[in-house]
Amino acid sequence: MAGIWVYSEDTNIAQQLLTLGGELADKTQQQVCAVTIFEQDAQELIASGADKVFVLKGDSAWPESYAQAVADLASKESPMAVFIGATLRGKDLAAKVAARLKTGLVTDAFSVRYEDGAIETDRMMYGGLAVCTEVLRGIGLATIPPRTYDVPVKDNSRTGEIVKVNVAVEAAVAVGNVCPIVRQGADIATAEKLVCIGRGVGKKEDLLLAQNLAAVLGAEIGCTRSIAEDYHWLPNENYIGLSGQKVKPSLYLSMGVSGQIQHVAGIRDSKIIVAIDTNENAPIFAAADYGIVGDLYQIVPLLTEALK
Amino acid sequence: MPNIVVCYKWVLDEQDIKINPANLALDTSRAKYKISEYDRNAIEEAVLQAEKSGASVVCLTFGTSTAKQSLKDALSRGPEKAYWINDAAAEKADAFVTSNVLVAALRKVGDYDIIICGEGSADTYGQQVGPRVATLLDIPVITFVTEMKIEGNKVIATRKIGDCTEVVTVQIPVVITVLPEVNKPRIPSLKQVLGAAKKPVTEWKIADLGLNMEDTEPKNNVKSIKGFVMSRKNVIYKEGTPAEKVTSLVANLTKEGAL
Repeated sequence: MAGIWVYSEDTNIAQQLLTLGGELADKTQQQVCAVTIFEQDAQELIASGADKVFVLKGDSAWPESYAQAVADLASKESPMAVFIGATLRGKDLAAKVAARLKTGLVTDAFSVRYEDGAIETDRMMYGGLAVCTEVLRGIGLATIPPRTYDVPVKDNSRTGEIVKVNVAVEAAVAVGNVCPIVRQGADIATAEKLVCIGRGVGKKEDLLLAQNLAAVLGAEIGCTRSIAEDYHWLPNENYIGLSGQKVKPSLYLSMGVSGQIQHVAGIRDSKIIVAIDTNENAPIFAAADYGIVGDLYQIVPLLTEALK
Repeated sequence: MPNIVVCYKWVLDEQDIKINPANLALDTSRAKYKISEYDRNAIEEAVLQAEKSGASVVCLTFGTSTAKQSLKDALSRGPEKAYWINDAAAEKADAFVTSNVLVAALRKVGDYDIIICGEGSADTYGQQVGPRVATLLDIPVITFVTEMKIEGNKVIATRKIGDCTEVVTVQIPVVITVLPEVNKPRIPSLKQVLGAAKKPVTEWKIADLGLNMEDTEPKNNVKSIKGFVMSRKNVIYKEGTPAEKVTSLVANLTKEGAL
């Protein structure tokens, strides 16, 4: 068992994972290797800390079809662990790799440590209610959410080995009509400030309240799952929660959000959480730094005025 | 006519789980169970596709004895028949074990063309079982599907993967995992609920599936499962006029440098 590996079909995320890979490689006195499907990014990955880069060369542009190639390489080289960027494409690939290697796989590990000679991970369970700590066995596989680690400072003088591997890819699948999803605003996952609306907002026209507050704060607008999926007031990519966007703003301010477990799981990395809701027993207040129990239709305009 | 198998999981309702503040242990003693929400979408999609194409739908679950209550619920949503692997091993099963068991059961069921799963489960949300099952059966998988149609022996599905959508076409057999936005699950009518009791259920134990011991043992060691507690300031303004509350809030946020 040698080497800490990172893989992502998104090179920026692969670079983030090299931060983790480097920490673990130092602790375990091993090499950190990046696996990539983009030959042109190999040097970049070395500059970000990879000692070795495996370039998978296959004739498919669909990242998901490289699962067997990653699994074959891992069974040949036996790394101690493989960390895969937890994009949806990454999760698809990771599960296939785990099935081929007959190993466990930790999805969305938010914390990884080396402890007592093994790698340990933390992940959420029950919609964010609980944290499950696992000790990895065999080739340790885990997917890591994007932006869990920062991209390391690049060092263009670093040298490393580049190994090209010709691979066969899964060909049973025809992929077409790839369309970027055009966002109707900024990416809330990276927003510095967020105003979040929930079911306490009575009708779609009242979004104006949130928009006015967001304008004075310089914030983006997010929402709870039902606002996007049941009411369609905002696009799906604006809903915050375990299965939606996980956000990390310096200020998160909710109005009319009750604070279901799954929603709170998406905001836990916010620096300051502020909640406005009529129900003083709403779970959101337990998750809030500051809260106002009151009618958002009175509070929000006053707050907007005060912040002007 | 393709045969559709839809997999579902009977999970604890997380809303009922309490955390003991003293040791952060989870108290599930009062928790009820439910069909994982994501799997309700999977069942609905299987039934919708069957209605469109005249396919048959059966459902498959791996659970402990508590999952007995799930059968009627699942069958009232439209499948013609249920397969239940009733085994205590489900309690501690990880995705490795679950997919081994489901695959062994699918091979025993025999005729599957399209296997539909939710993208993840409401309890662990590991998002692994669909692609693992496909890999073990050596058939393709289309994950994170928002729309699908069956055309002859092909499935054409739209995936939504973060920043883009794509349309994927495969020949059956195939595994499909669906996102919640794929449909809105129906609420079964009284007639469907009553009819569910008459539908056939096949029950197996893991021992009936011919698996090796190592295929039924979880891979990673779970060291602990503890309640998650956020430490927040919890400064909540309940008293006073709306204007007073707002003034206090703004003062605090200014002090924090949050504005």
